[in-house]
Amino acid sequence: MTQTTAQAPSPLAGLFAGRRWRSLRESLIAYLFVFPAFLIIGTFGLFPLAFSVYVSLHRWRIIPGKYLGLDQYAKALDGLAYVAGLWLVVLLVYGVVRSLLDAHHESQETGDHPWAWLVPALVTSTGLFLFVRFLVVLFPEVLAIAEKVKGVQRTQELFLTLLGEAWRVPQVVSSRTTAMLVLIAGLALAYGFSRWVSAGPRSATYYMRFIIVFIMLGCGIALGWLTLTEIQSAYAAAAEEGESIRLWSQILAMSIGIIALVVVWQLSSRMRFAGWTTTLLVLGGGALALGAKLLVDSGQVTAIELLLIPAGVVALFFSWRAWQTARNAPTTRGLVAWVLASIAMMLAAWLLIAEVPTGIQAGYDDWWEGLLHTVYYVLFTVPIELVLGLFLAILLFQNIKGKGFFRLIYFLPYVTNPVAAASVFRVIFSSRVSAPINSLLNLVGIDNLMWLDEPKGIFQMLFPALDIPPALAGPSLALFVICLYGIWTYAGYNTVVFLAGLGSIPTPLYEAAAIDGAGRWQQFRHVTLPLLSPTTYFLSLIAVIGTFKAFNHLWVLRSGAALGTTDTASIVIFNEFNRNTRYGYASALALVLMGLILVLTMINSRIAEEKVFYG
Amino acid sequence: MVSKGESSTLMSRAQGARVPPARTQSAKARNPRRLDVWMIFTYAVLVFGITIAILPFFWMVSTSLMTLGEATGRTFVPSVLQWGNYTEAWVDGKFSEYFANSVQIVLITVSGQIVFCTLAAYAFARIKFAGKDFLFSLLLTTLMLPEAVTWVPNFITVTWLGRIGPIPWVNNWPALTIPFMASAFNIFLLRQFFAQIPDDLWDSAQIDGAGHLRYLVQIILPISRAALTTVVIFGFIGSWNALAWPMLVTNSDEWRPISAALMHFLDEAGSYVHLQMAGAVITIAPILVTYLFAQKQFTEGIATSGLKG
Repeated sequence: MTQTTAQAPSPLAGLFAGRRWRSLRESLIAYLFVFPAFLIIGTFGLFPLAFSVYVSLHRWRIIPGKYLGLDQYAKALDGLAYVAGLWLVVLLVYGVVRSLLDAHHESQETGDHPWAWLVPALVTSTGLFLFVRFLVVLFPEVLAIAEKVKGVQRTQELFLTLLGEAWRVPQVVSSRTTAMLVLIAGLALAYGFSRWVSAGPRSATYYMRFIIVFIMLGCGIALGWLTLTEIQSAYAAAAEEGESIRLWSQILAMSIGIIALVVVWQLSSRMRFAGWTTTLLVLGGGALALGAKLLVDSGQVTAIELLLIPAGVVALFFSWRAWQTARNAPTTRGLVAWVLASIAMMLAAWLLIAEVPTGIQAGYDDWWEGLLHTVYYVLFTVPIELVLGLFLAILLFQNIKGKGFFRLIYFLPYVTNPVAAASVFRVIFSSRVSAPINSLLNLVGIDNLMWLDEPKGIFQMLFPALDIPPALAGPSLALFVICLYGIWTYAGYNTVVFLAGLGSIPTPLYEAAAIDGAGRWQQFRHVTLPLLSPTTYFLSLIAVIGTFKAFNHLWVLRSGAALGTTDTASIVIFNEFNRNTRYGYASALALVLMGLILVLTMINSRIAEEKVFYG
Repeated sequence: MVSKGESSTLMSRAQGARVPPARTQSAKARNPRRLDVWMIFTYAVLVFGITIAILPFFWMVSTSLMTLGEATGRTFVPSVLQWGNYTEAWVDGKFSEYFANSVQIVLITVSGQIVFCTLAAYAFARIKFAGKDFLFSLLLTTLMLPEAVTWVPNFITVTWLGRIGPIPWVNNWPALTIPFMASAFNIFLLRQFFAQIPDDLWDSAQIDGAGHLRYLVQIILPISRAALTTVVIFGFIGSWNALAWPMLVTNSDEWRPISAALMHFLDEAGSYVHLQMAGAVITIAPILVTYLFAQKQFTEGIATSGLKG
């Protein structure tokens, strides 16, 4: 590098050339360094996302089949698939409007004239869409090469010939040429604009922004079109069978429910509740609503209703809170606003409890039940793990002999091999009469239980006299054992992380609290808990998301006799894929799961913004 | 949960020193009875916790040394230690093969990870290039992807690659190793570490005429031993414990890794509980040994990064 500068004729020009050469060389080296990792992560980490979408739009049983559109999503989620599709469209349109408004404000501030850039951006983004179409046309041809080389001597030449053939298929050629032409036209237009029409320092940003606007618009139109055709074909299918369906009213009902929930959420951040009253009220309200529901339906409750009723109850609760706040509102306007909010939320509650379940009852039962099992699993593990972990951490965070040893052992269940550890649970909680836990129960005089083979819900087993309908019987005993495994694994992990969190709380705070006369409990409540909230938030996020992704121990502890009552979302996806070989359907379910995890993460981080105290 | 007396012990802990005996004594003198009861309670709970944490492991080892009759009966400890169970699992249960498979898979995966992740992490930490931030954020999005989304597409990709390429991927080492040879998490971890290394080191290396590769290999790597150990340990554990993907891409014993093999064994040899437990002990042993030797990396690395095990 230094040599290049030395050899250059003029020192100044040489320095410049040397610098340019050097930064180019640096970039090349960087790309070379990054390339292998990106090849692998791109192929097995990023590409799968796009590929999943592609597979999920097709009937795909081991080999690719016909194009189905959103059919498989509709099959899995019923009405909710349409709602999700339409709402995504709304979000995309919102993004477009927002982006255009931003551009407008910026241009007013700076005095630019950005709107001319809409033209080259439109052409370029059309080119990009055409390019994607080219990839979609090319893709099956490339995929089919694997079929063509079956039973033939595999050589590199053969592969390259076949690849060349795929490249020259008429459709591929035409889509490729149009995409290239339009793309080049777009770029040329952009170049021309920057030279002669609307030059300016910010033109590149406008160009990029408008390209993104058009891409969002295009995606919105495509998704909207897909969803609408899906709804139409559902109506057509129903008409053929002589049934009448009311998809639109269901979609409307669910959408209003969602809007109201978002409103509730926004309002809730402005209200202050005492934690215990909230919990008690929500639980009590939930019990009441469930009771009412049971009376009405005489025990006919499905899994999905059980998932949505709590949401309705929460909305009801908030409507009550809004009503309370309204009474104390200082101004008439505030009063009206709160009363309106309360009515809106009443509406949301009613819609969620009454309308939504019928809107999605035709969905894939295994899937909804899988989600219900996942929720059970979260409810029966995460709070217990966190409390246990915090309790043990506080005990350990004292002047104790052998602290390192305790920590070593507590962490052990977390680091072991999940298959091996779960296999012991299979032995301990086996349904054999002579199995360890059953023997222990016999010692105390309790009858044998089926444990991992027991599909019956635990509430039903606790109160055998009552005739509890299946959906209310709680997680099956088998799932409960799996929850025990989860607690066993994660309690120690939480202990270790909480210990680290406790170590970072400054001691003077405790001393100050002690001087002010705070007792142990008050110190814990007002110093330890708030200062630990980032740790608690981190652990709960990891735990909830981890639960939605969990697979290994669930698979090991799965027993046929438990009749699928332990199958969570991941297990359902794995079975659809591996056992039923429905690749397309499994992809659709996996993408829905991913969306769910994304939404959960977003809600979690919103809650964190409001509740977590970072010193 | 912190009393006046203990707040002083808290402070001394924060200072990283052993508690001076004088302070504890003064705390005890203030309220001797209460502290003792509290301490007894503490130890009782902690020991009970240890028992729960250990019991499954104890049961695993104990059952693995029983006869079949004892294992399915109501025995707590075997009357005669049946070491033969291990030979049976190792030889007849083919755990020797599975063990060797997993060792090979781990070696290939981890060496790939070291090479590819170090290179990428170095570029992200040290070199300026166009699109760096974009590429890095693209990389981080893969951390959000649940494994379930990748099953179907990766299975199709791997089958395709095996059909068109010179060697099959399914039921062979490539499907089990290559997809895991680079991970966004490791690149992120290493990049954070490399970014802390002072620029002076690079300047002086450059003056000595070293290029990026030489600087990376001869200077950066030797001082990054701690970070690399973490990467190796995580890679080892991830690869050793993997279940879903190996079950998808292996259906014969030839390359079946040990976790998938143990799962297979649990299904196939349903009633041979003692052999199953012997297999479980064989599967778990390398992990436990590593944990005992590199405990610090585990508790610090995992606790601070929140890696799922």
